Amino acid sequence: METREKEVLLKVRDLEVTFGNSWHRFKAVKGVSFDVYKGETFGIVGESGSGKTTIGRCIIRVYPASAGSIQFKGREITGRIPKELDREITQKIQMIFQDPMASLNERAKIDYIVSEGLQGRGYSKAQMQEMVTAALHAVGLPPEFATRFPHEFSGGQRQRIGIARALIMNPEFIIADEPISALDVSIRAQVLNLMSQLQKERGLTYLFISHDLSVMRFICDRIAVVHKGLIVEMADTETLFQHPAHPYTRALLSAIPQPNPDVEKNKVLEIYDPACHHYEQHPPRWQNIEPDHQVLCNEEELATWKTW
Amino acid sequence: MQEPILSVEDLHVKFKLRGKTLHALRGVNLDVYRGESLAIVGESGCGKSVLNKNFIGLLDGNGFIAQGQIRYYDALEKFKGSPACKQDGQGRMYVDLTSLPKPTDWLSIRGSEVCMIPQDPMTSLNPLKSIGKQILEALELHRGLKGKAAREAAIDILKDVRIDDPRRRYKQYPHELSGGMRQRIVIAIAIACRPKILICDEPTTALDVTIQAQVLSLLKELKTKYNLTIIFITHDLGVVANIAERVAVMYAGDIVELGLVNEIFYDPHHPYTWALLSSLPQLGHRGEELYSIKGTPPNLFQAIHGDAFAPRNPLALQIDHLEQPPYFDITPTHRARTWLLDPRAPKVEPPEVIRKLKQLGGKAIGNP
Ligand SMILES: Nc1ncnc2c1ncn2[C@@H]1O[C@H](COP(=O)(O)OP(=O)(O)OP(=O)(O)O)[C@@H](O)[C@H]1O
Ligand SMILES: Nc1ncnc2c1ncn2[C@@H]1O[C@H](COP(=O)(O)OP(=O)(O)OP(=O)(O)O)[C@@H](O)[C@H]1O
Ligand SMILES: [Mg+2]
Ligand SMILES: [Mg+2]
Repeated sequence: METREKEVLLKVRDLEVTFGNSWHRFKAVKGVSFDVYKGETFGIVGESGSGKTTIGRCIIRVYPASAGSIQFKGREITGRIPKELDREITQKIQMIFQDPMASLNERAKIDYIVSEGLQGRGYSKAQMQEMVTAALHAVGLPPEFATRFPHEFSGGQRQRIGIARALIMNPEFIIADEPISALDVSIRAQVLNLMSQLQKERGLTYLFISHDLSVMRFICDRIAVVHKGLIVEMADTETLFQHPAHPYTRALLSAIPQPNPDVEKNKVLEIYDPACHHYEQHPPRWQNIEPDHQVLCNEEELATWKTW
Repeated sequence: MQEPILSVEDLHVKFKLRGKTLHALRGVNLDVYRGESLAIVGESGCGKSVLNKNFIGLLDGNGFIAQGQIRYYDALEKFKGSPACKQDGQGRMYVDLTSLPKPTDWLSIRGSEVCMIPQDPMTSLNPLKSIGKQILEALELHRGLKGKAAREAAIDILKDVRIDDPRRRYKQYPHELSGGMRQRIVIAIAIACRPKILICDEPTTALDVTIQAQVLSLLKELKTKYNLTIIFITHDLGVVANIAERVAVMYAGDIVELGLVNEIFYDPHHPYTWALLSSLPQLGHRGEELYSIKGTPPNLFQAIHGDAFAPRNPLALQIDHLEQPPYFDITPTHRARTWLLDPRAPKVEPPEVIRKLKQLGGKAIGNP
């Protein structure tokens, strides 16, 4: 019940995103709703192609929403919006992209890459330079890096550059799309520690997109599970791990790779077969299965899925 | 005794960069056995990709083999009469991959003998061709299939890598697919070549766990079906635990520990292997810092003295800073390059979490 009093930073309602032209349409996001509270880390997990990146890109207005609404601090940010609001959210909402190798402009130097978002915002050269140094410092990179090119850096360093580029805008909300999946275990730990530290220092709110549930368990406060453009389950992290209800969530949890050869060898995968639902006769609804834990299911499923 | 399909001996690879020389591989020794699955793990930049690029002759232009041997114990027919075809000390014939006479000789190795799924699926697909066409080309080139048969085979391969609605996807272009789907297309193209050795460079990082699990079981299936040898490069120790029979741990251009998968997870000996296992988020506690290795990897432009990991190892012995340790055998299948195994070394206990991993044995790990 505590969550009711928390401030909602981002409110997404019945969001739909459609790709394609009039004779070949594909709905990648089919009506998702969720709230992200200020200061929390909200996770979105789901299979490849389920629409996670698309949701993120829609929030930063790279893709238009074809239906539904997104409110940031109570103001609608989809569709046509006033210029000042557009400027404000391009500053306050930042996205760290999925692929640190492909997302940095290879021909630009690091200082340009990091300060790109500041261009046209009325900063002097000297101010920008100072801000670049500060942003690099915040992610633990020396100022000399500013004059080098992306190909001279390791994956972990590139990912830090991606984070610096987001931080320099002094955002309130960061969408981190698989920020660590391309990194090795030791750098992954550094980047995760860095993200938590920045969150504490600056009161940042994160939308953390990942397929790595073991990392999400470590970093997220709440998690939404998406499947084919729909949220099928949403709960506090530990609740989700203790009481997974939807068969897709259960399949995901059973598949988490364990760094333990004997466990892996005897692993039993739960396979999710969407045919297990009988939604023609009894369509599903978004329902509370316990406090702070919602599942997309029909009445019959609600009764059988609650096994605790 | 297992027979090697590929054998690397004292391999040194260097890169020329702005007038300086970077020593990327510093004397790697490794036998890859026919039909095994070997995982190579280690920090970013330690040389995993460079090592494996040697096996397909795709070292970057500024790189060269300064010293060492790479023997491929197959493809002998293709190289009959070629000076690259040689005999080793035990009388076995091999193709010397360090001295193929013509650059075009690599065309007989790459794809059909050794195939590498590259690290970056975004850049390895052609954005201007439909994915079906790209698989088709691999099938035509390496398996000689044509027309309708090739097309059907391509669709089967799409099904193999669990792409749903393969007939629709066949006509799509890379940008229309999600990251994980693109990655599976790259795997599909590699499988289409039916190689003997399949090198997977971080093949599952962009996949969600359910598809990852399916791809891993698919790879294991293909391995049995075609007696494939798999070399798996990954950061994900969970994946290693799943697919690998043996594990090589690399640090700064060298293999510091090599053993059966259970030996590496339950009885690791090199301090770097300890540090690597300790960084796992599964072993962390929420709200607390995750263990991370302090410092940075050594500068490969400079000569390294002693154990390369010593400067970052709080438990390093004095000798670690002075002299490079030799390999010490722990079991016939397990060896590590650390002075801690020297009979004269003081007894150093592995960190707490390593003991925890061992105690857990076959039980699941979860953070509280
Ligand atoms: N620009 C685009 N044009 C057409 N279809 C697209 C486009 N971008 C994404 N899609 C489609 O939308 C769906 C969702 O893609 P998205 O990239 O959001 O998935 P994701 O959940 O981020 O997957 P991954 O984990 O693999 O990154 C996929 O079916 C994809 O093919
Ligand atoms: N073309 C090149 N020129 C100069 N140095 C190079 C070149 N290619 C690789 N290196 C260097 O060689 C070392 C090994 O690189 P490699 O790509 O093998 O690392 P890796 O272990 O695959 O790392 P990652 O996990 O990040 O992929 C690194 O220090 C890298 O900077
Ligand atoms: Mg994505
Ligand atoms: Mg690599």
